[in-house]
Amino acid sequence: MKIENLNAMPAPTWSWLKMNSTSLEIDPELAPAGAAAVEVEGADACRGNDGDFEAALKLADSRFPARRAAAPGDASDRERVDAGNLDQLDVPALSTYQTQAVHLEEKCGPAESFSHGCGSETANYLRSVAQMPVVLKLAPYQKECVTVRINGVDGAISAADIQVIAGEHAELDFIVALDSPVIGTGLVGSLLSVVAAEQARVNVTCVQTLDDSWTALDASGFFLDEGARVHVQHTVLGAGKSVTGLASELWGDTSKISVDTDYLAARDQSRDFNYSIRQLGRKTESNMDANGVLTGASKKVLRGTIDLVHGCRGSEGTERESVLLANKGVDNKTVPVILCDEDDVAGNHGATIGHVRDEQLFYMACRGISAEEAEQLFITAKLENAAITAPDERIRAGIVRLGNKLVSNFEEEIA
Amino acid sequence: MAKNRTEVADIDRSLYDFTYGEEGFERLAAGITPDIVREISSKKDEPEWMLELRLKSLDIFNRFPNPTWGPGIDGLDMDNIVTYVKPNTDQKHDWDSVPDDIKNTFERLGIPEAERSYLAGVGAQYDSELVYHNMQDTASKMGIVYSGIEEALHDPQWEPIIRENFMTVIPPTDHKFAALHGAVWSGGSFVYVPAGTKLDFPLQSYFRLNAKGAGQFEHTLIIVEDDADLHFIEGCSAPKYNVANLHAGAVELIVGKRAHLRYSTIENWSKNMYNLNTKRARVDEDGEIEWISGSFGSHVGYLYPMSVLNGARARSSFTGITFAGAGQNLDTGCKVVLNAPDTTASVETKGISKSGGVQTFRSSIVATPRAEGAKATVSCQSLMLDAESRSDTIPAMDIRAKNVDVGHEATIGRIGDDKIFYLMSRGISEEEARTMIVNGFANPVSKELPLEYAVEMNNLIKLEMEGAIG
Repeated sequence: MKIENLNAMPAPTWSWLKMNSTSLEIDPELAPAGAAAVEVEGADACRGNDGDFEAALKLADSRFPARRAAAPGDASDRERVDAGNLDQLDVPALSTYQTQAVHLEEKCGPAESFSHGCGSETANYLRSVAQMPVVLKLAPYQKECVTVRINGVDGAISAADIQVIAGEHAELDFIVALDSPVIGTGLVGSLLSVVAAEQARVNVTCVQTLDDSWTALDASGFFLDEGARVHVQHTVLGAGKSVTGLASELWGDTSKISVDTDYLAARDQSRDFNYSIRQLGRKTESNMDANGVLTGASKKVLRGTIDLVHGCRGSEGTERESVLLANKGVDNKTVPVILCDEDDVAGNHGATIGHVRDEQLFYMACRGISAEEAEQLFITAKLENAAITAPDERIRAGIVRLGNKLVSNFEEEIA
Repeated sequence: MAKNRTEVADIDRSLYDFTYGEEGFERLAAGITPDIVREISSKKDEPEWMLELRLKSLDIFNRFPNPTWGPGIDGLDMDNIVTYVKPNTDQKHDWDSVPDDIKNTFERLGIPEAERSYLAGVGAQYDSELVYHNMQDTASKMGIVYSGIEEALHDPQWEPIIRENFMTVIPPTDHKFAALHGAVWSGGSFVYVPAGTKLDFPLQSYFRLNAKGAGQFEHTLIIVEDDADLHFIEGCSAPKYNVANLHAGAVELIVGKRAHLRYSTIENWSKNMYNLNTKRARVDEDGEIEWISGSFGSHVGYLYPMSVLNGARARSSFTGITFAGAGQNLDTGCKVVLNAPDTTASVETKGISKSGGVQTFRSSIVATPRAEGAKATVSCQSLMLDAESRSDTIPAMDIRAKNVDVGHEATIGRIGDDKIFYLMSRGISEEEARTMIVNGFANPVSKELPLEYAVEMNNLIKLEMEGAIG
């Protein structure tokens, strides 16, 4: 089967750039691996029930009903055109995505607008192959640390549907590890859905260390209530093809999300990221920071969208990307988007795409390090950093396994 | 919200919003069919290859879908658009011979005065045809050719050159409205600057669309040979009607080795205009293209001048400002293809939206595998003047070469209260203070324009800013 329109960004650009979305071919022979592929650690005190997540979103709906838009092409504009007080030419002719933005604002509360960045078809697919969801429900002020490991099973699809409800002032350190400890081929997927209630703190660390013969499909969605804080660390080091989607909705005032992404792509691997953050509450903050190294004939697309919705006065959104292109045959695509429907906001984005600079090469050449070795150092550094900051030994072992394939004596170097 | 929009819609735009009748004008039936295309071609007595290109383009236009990523064009019904309106005159070479109503139009827009003051040549198009074209003797003695493109097409010296280059920089397959242009193009200019020739004064073409419900499809082809230098200015305006008008022109620029071309545009179409214009430059080794672009008018705008840097060390710079007011959705920006070693591109844009207007900056920087050592910087700043408006930035980068440096930065925000307070505490009214700040914001663009155009741009900003308070 083939999933089309995967990781589609909210505001598309020219089709010829082939950046708007991706697709994923899934071998029809692959069967769901079942619950054995998913290990959950540290969740004994916060197990929830099927349906808890939907109930939490429903509660959010009652706290944040759909808003009436006050934007170009909104209901008042349409009424005035219908009443004959305005001509169609007197209101802006909105694009499809701008019309959709007005629709979302006017008609959709948190439950309906909740998404995972990868698209609803993909989310439904992951739900169907994961079968039973892993539900974590933290009571107000509860603090937990939970790890979910999704292990590749040869010839199968290993997937987890993880639902997290962090109650008021609750704190959760959550680790997701996508790994392929056995030789084989298949798909490893994760669908993470998070409701962070008032003043909740959720830290998500997702480390993907699959070998080249595997495909990774990782999607996550976040709802943030008033004062909630979410930090996401994505470390994407392996897989022949990896697709990462993230969507976050900051409904509550002063809520804040930061997303840090570290990625490495080598040989003919491909990385596809789609981040979309909608800021609706007042004085909300978002930060996206991506750092990567591309080598070999690898490909990467990073779509990052900050959507500053009407009414999010005093909000700020920032996205940054820094990419090192360490080889001639790489293909690096980046599209950092800011959508802004509110004047009292600050939206910033910056990107630096480059190579090892002449002065850096000169410095290293003076010490007997060739240009090729210098570039290799950046790759090693990316892996070393991931290994050093790995949340636990099993994840570290996965990083070392990948590192040994890219860098000679990697294990010894980091010992 | 409604108050602001009405105020802006009602302000005096009489400088541009005046019309004359169409007595004696020839108007083809609305819509676009093979017969209409043949009729346009036949009226122009074109060579067979041009008719073939037109019909091929029409076929592409009919097959290609409308763009789905940009502003809505549902209000543009091609069955209602008249693709060809010929004014009641042929092309003249002195203003006195131009019919009074057309001459009055251009006089009110200041074109003859500009020609006398600082231009080396002027072309003026009214609806579908050029009505005036002239160039100073000094320029023609340098070997520079500046004429109507149809005139050049009938000249055996230039016909082969036009055939070789026409719609090669912008092929009809580029997008639906490039194909439309290929099918029904009419009027426009041809410029040829011989190798080593540097023209100190600019050439200018001015396009006026007077006819209600019509389209304008002029074609500009400029060839600047090796080591030559040219500044070309393009202006356009139209009166406002309550039905859609369409502008789908094409500008093809060919810049030779070590040549330099500056292309300046102030677009001030009326707010019922769908401006689906295409502009593109192909630049050879060490050549340079500079785009200066001000977009103020139009109901819908799709405008992205593109630079294809095919020669080593070729350079491109784009400096642009877009001002979207009530009822407007302007999607503007630029495209650059770095297609040779050590090519460089810089992009600096400013976007302003107010009174419910929508402004989008869209760009692409593509570095092909040939572009080793290329560099590009993109800077985009958007200013929101009220909470009812919208401002989006959608920049894309596709880098496929090693040793390429691309830097990108963008900001969106409002005028800080502290700045307004500072100016007001020195006795400046709030409205004036806002206009001053916006003019300052636009300064990087206006300073690149000839003085007269910078003044026009500042006046346009002032015009748009009226009614911004309240």
